[in-house]
Amino acid sequence: MAVLTEEMKKVLRVVGKGGAVVHLTTSSIDGKPNIVAERFVTHYKDEYILIADMFAQKTKVNLNENPVASISVAHPVKDHAWVFRGPCTVISNAAPDQYRWHDIVAGEVLNDWGDWVSKEPPDEVPPDIAPPKVAQRGVIALKVEEIYRFDAENAGQSVL
Amino acid sequence: MSVNLTPRMKDWFTENGAHIALATKTGFPSVIVAETVKAGDDTIRITLSSSQIKQIEQILLENPYAALAPGNLGSVRAPYQVKGTAKLWSDLLEIKVEEVYCTKPGAEAGIRLDTLGYDGMKEYEESRWTDLSPKV
Repeated sequence: MAVLTEEMKKVLRVVGKGGAVVHLTTSSIDGKPNIVAERFVTHYKDEYILIADMFAQKTKVNLNENPVASISVAHPVKDHAWVFRGPCTVISNAAPDQYRWHDIVAGEVLNDWGDWVSKEPPDEVPPDIAPPKVAQRGVIALKVEEIYRFDAENAGQSVL
Repeated sequence: MSVNLTPRMKDWFTENGAHIALATKTGFPSVIVAETVKAGDDTIRITLSSSQIKQIEQILLENPYAALAPGNLGSVRAPYQVKGTAKLWSDLLEIKVEEVYCTKPGAEAGIRLDTLGYDGMKEYEESRWTDLSPKV
């Protein structure tokens, strides 16, 4: 089990609050990877990362058959060249309140993060790349079990 | 069949580097990040460090599939995902582009751009973005 440091928690939040855009990587069960940039990101309960499920079509197909993912810091990186990896799932807005995945309870996490646009509106996103309409379907949750560096000199080196 | 990238795609990848996603043949994901890449017409070439080679060489022996997305500001302004077949030549990773997707959030997320054809992809970009090069 890896626990996120305070420095990591500052990075794992939306850009408008000083965090970073991240890339979410999943894979089909037969090894075809998929990578997508994500703006709505936050740390959660010391060892989880949440991403809003907005339009994650292939990501959800992959997670359904192969529930593991990586999240890499994309922009700004500075010296935060980290990849977080571990079990990953989608907690749907339609999940029963008592549904539990590891230490995450659906009713609790969706109460906090199920309406992300109202909580953290994407005001910093330029209009030509902002979605004209957002429709959150739930949250994608990753349980951090490994953290490694991605800068060229130290690529693959464990952090925690 | 390989796919030719547009000038905007090539420029944004070249100037912003890439996050390169690989996976074992049973789907365990691994990511390396290159600060600079050379994006040609249908091939992206990346010079790797010894640490990066060590991280991915075994994976590539069993599974050549790769997916790439632009790094740095490109992760915000250049919402592309490129998929293809990767081959490691000593310290050079070469990815032959076979599919290009739009990852712009919203109704266009997941559109397979290469089905539009080369001219169609350029028209798609020109109708949406004025920053056809990250240098502008």
